[in-house]
Amino acid sequence: MNIVVCCKVVADDQDILVAGDGALDFSKAHRIVSEYDLNAIEAAAQLAAQHEGSKVTVVSVADAKADDSKLKKGVLARGVDELVMVADDACADLDAHATAAMLAKLVGPMGADLVVCGDGSADNYAQQVDVQLADALGLPVVTAACSIAVDGDVATCDRMLEAQIQTVRVDLPAVVSVVPDAALPRIPGMKDILAAGKKPSTVDAASDVPAPVVDVAETKAPEQAERKLEVLDASVDGDIEKFAAALKAAL
Amino acid sequence: MKACVIAETPVAAHTLCAGARAMADEVVLIAPGVEAAAGIADKAVHIDVPDGCSLDDAYASVNAVVDAEAPAAVLVEPTRRMKVLAGRLAAHLGTAAITDVIEFDGDLAATMYFGGVGQRKSKAAGGTAVYTVGAGVFDESGATGTDVVEEAAFIAPARALRVVEAKDLPKSDVDLSAADVVVAAGRGFTEEADLQLMHDLAAKLGGECGCTRPIAEGADWMPRESYIGVSGVMLSPKVYVGVGVSGQMQHMVGVNRAGALFAINKDKSAPIFRQCDYGIVGDLKDVLPKLAAAL
Repeated sequence: MNIVVCCKVVADDQDILVAGDGALDFSKAHRIVSEYDLNAIEAAAQLAAQHEGSKVTVVSVADAKADDSKLKKGVLARGVDELVMVADDACADLDAHATAAMLAKLVGPMGADLVVCGDGSADNYAQQVDVQLADALGLPVVTAACSIAVDGDVATCDRMLEAQIQTVRVDLPAVVSVVPDAALPRIPGMKDILAAGKKPSTVDAASDVPAPVVDVAETKAPEQAERKLEVLDASVDGDIEKFAAALKAAL
Repeated sequence: MKACVIAETPVAAHTLCAGARAMADEVVLIAPGVEAAAGIADKAVHIDVPDGCSLDDAYASVNAVVDAEAPAAVLVEPTRRMKVLAGRLAAHLGTAAITDVIEFDGDLAATMYFGGVGQRKSKAAGGTAVYTVGAGVFDESGATGTDVVEEAAFIAPARALRVVEAKDLPKSDVDLSAADVVVAAGRGFTEEADLQLMHDLAAKLGGECGCTRPIAEGADWMPRESYIGVSGVMLSPKVYVGVGVSGQMQHMVGVNRAGALFAINKDKSAPIFRQCDYGIVGDLKDVLPKLAAAL
């Protein structure tokens, strides 16, 4: 089975700094694979392991900083056979429509049986690229899958909806996006990371990036409520009582 | 100006129609595979989704209705299946849905960025704007309308999903968003049995219990509806007590509008102590029983 996983490379939110005027400073932020896309990679790798002769290709469309050897090895060390990336500052902060268009150009010619996406990206968490990609590729889409089983050219997925678990069958090829529950990401060992360096990986510049369809007027840190910041210590006599009194007063 | 609403639950249909009424003169409710609520829109359009099909496969019908109505804005309920309809519609219109809007400011829609590290204000570059809007943004009391219901034919996609089973999830008795007091468990809980200590404290305070995402999803110790923060519930209770909660932004963004914020954690350098009103450093197994006794 030919499985393609779409990943987003994002700034590590631990490294995002907030300037005095509330502006977000990403200049110190390392690039990482968006957390829930690791679950998508794992779901694909596990599925590939169940179907002999399968191949897992990870694709990503990102800014130039995503072309990072540690990041790429980290992806290829997770049961992935090949990485295909467009890393170009023309692709920084694309909207869902443009991301899907760029991904479709990469994924379309690959002849994938199954395209796997994550639950949502760390930055916008819009849960839209999977659907827009399916539309661009003319494929069905199954979102919120907590399990995927493939038999022949049919996938059976359990979907975690708000009030029910819905089991659906879909003819392949299809796009399936998985909730984090679908597969717990592995922790790659040293051997996996060393082997990853020898796997095929291509990084290209972008061409024909679609114009934005959403205009972003401003991105700022929200104003934080003033807090009292009174920290007590349970080992100090009377502090639990003080804490209890403050709690009672707040009710 | 005209606005369309796409919703599957009656509550969302009401609130989104009220919100649409505040931004448009004419409101059209699209009800894919669910009963069209009366009296909340100028017109409802019902799409009969056949048994065995999933609601999200009504997209071709929804797109046709929106094409015919030509609204300036479409408000969509952010459930899994409605979000697929939002995405299919946006793709059809050549736009991108602005999702999980937390506030409208003129023609700008505010959304969370990096789970609340930032907030973004954006608008559609042109044509019809598609938004998904959750609970708490609009007041449902403003919905008005007629009983007119039109039918739109279900247009099956070439390769539809086939629903083979649907199992209702157990109804949750947690309603965190209505609770004045919320006590939340974080990863500081190392054993499921210890959660009883939190439940005891919540009972004393007359509050409800929530948790961080790993407690609900990794450990499965609490129902999924009870996790607070990014992609979970967003709250603004009178009082929040985080127990064994480190203070990661993904969780805190769901409670940082609380009236008063309390924290219990054994790690004195936990980030939650830099964003609370009152914190206490100590082992939850020791602090919780003593605290419950002192209340």
